[in-house]
Amino acid sequence: MTDEFAVGDSYEHTVEDVDRVDFVKYAGASGDFNRIHYDDPYARQAGYDSVFGQGMLTAGVASRTVRQALGLQHLREFRTRFTAKVRPGDDLATTVEVTAVEEGDEGTRVEAAVTVVNQHGEEVVTGTAVAVI
Amino acid sequence: MPAKPIAALKERIGETYRTVEGFGIERGKVAEFARAIHDASDIYFDETAARDAGYETIPAPPTFPRTSYFPRYRPDGVDHSLGFDLGFDRARVVHGEQEYEYTRPLYVGDELVGDTTLEDVYQRDGRNGGTMTFAVLRTEFVDTDGEHVLTASNTRIETAGETAGESK
Repeated sequence: MTDEFAVGDSYEHTVEDVDRVDFVKYAGASGDFNRIHYDDPYARQAGYDSVFGQGMLTAGVASRTVRQALGLQHLREFRTRFTAKVRPGDDLATTVEVTAVEEGDEGTRVEAAVTVVNQHGEEVVTGTAVAVI
Repeated sequence: MPAKPIAALKERIGETYRTVEGFGIERGKVAEFARAIHDASDIYFDETAARDAGYETIPAPPTFPRTSYFPRYRPDGVDHSLGFDLGFDRARVVHGEQEYEYTRPLYVGDELVGDTTLEDVYQRDGRNGGTMTFAVLRTEFVDTDGEHVLTASNTRIETAGETAGESK
């Protein structure tokens, strides 16, 4: 049992100006060396306006707010859907909002909606996180 | 469209391969990854801070299992395709969804192996014509005691756009 969480509790964090250098750092840290994230001529030949960020970079950025909201000890699920591309210079604003708090056999199950929007208000990631506390 | 017929891809649904071995969770890599995702929480850098926050030791960020893509954790013959060469055109492949289910946090000092199953392959019409092909790959990670740590499911999409260089 925990009364730490209530439906509607909300946690927010914004990372500003995510740029090519961030894509390169994430490539180096993660091992995702797909050129489409750092080689502009390659990205244009594939039909894109420019390079774009790894979806998993945005999921990682979102994980900061999930960690702050729910902690990692009790995290059971983290799901992300990549709904729009992150372009060089974008701001990434993450919101984690508690959508359900239920008592179960294992403890208190806390469900949260995870969204990341860019500076135009466009959703780039939607997802969910679940903790059992 | 993938270079292989969809029927041939569907025949492989349910196949499982060892795709990750010797995936040691290294302190320096955790710190580097935490910086790269713009989460400089001291639990990712300082063992005392991690213990004070209730962790056994320094945990890895929730999406850290992505680093299992480094070639040094891959058995021979396994690359980014995770053992399933689906004939996707890599320039048109986008990452559609990623899901993690955790039994416990991943910690510095853990060493994992992973087995990947092709869970599903299907096609949809693209918004601007053409065909989009989806593949769902699920990887189960266990520790050296054989205990489940997490499951990662990755949905890849080969988009309907023209292949790079097709107009040549």
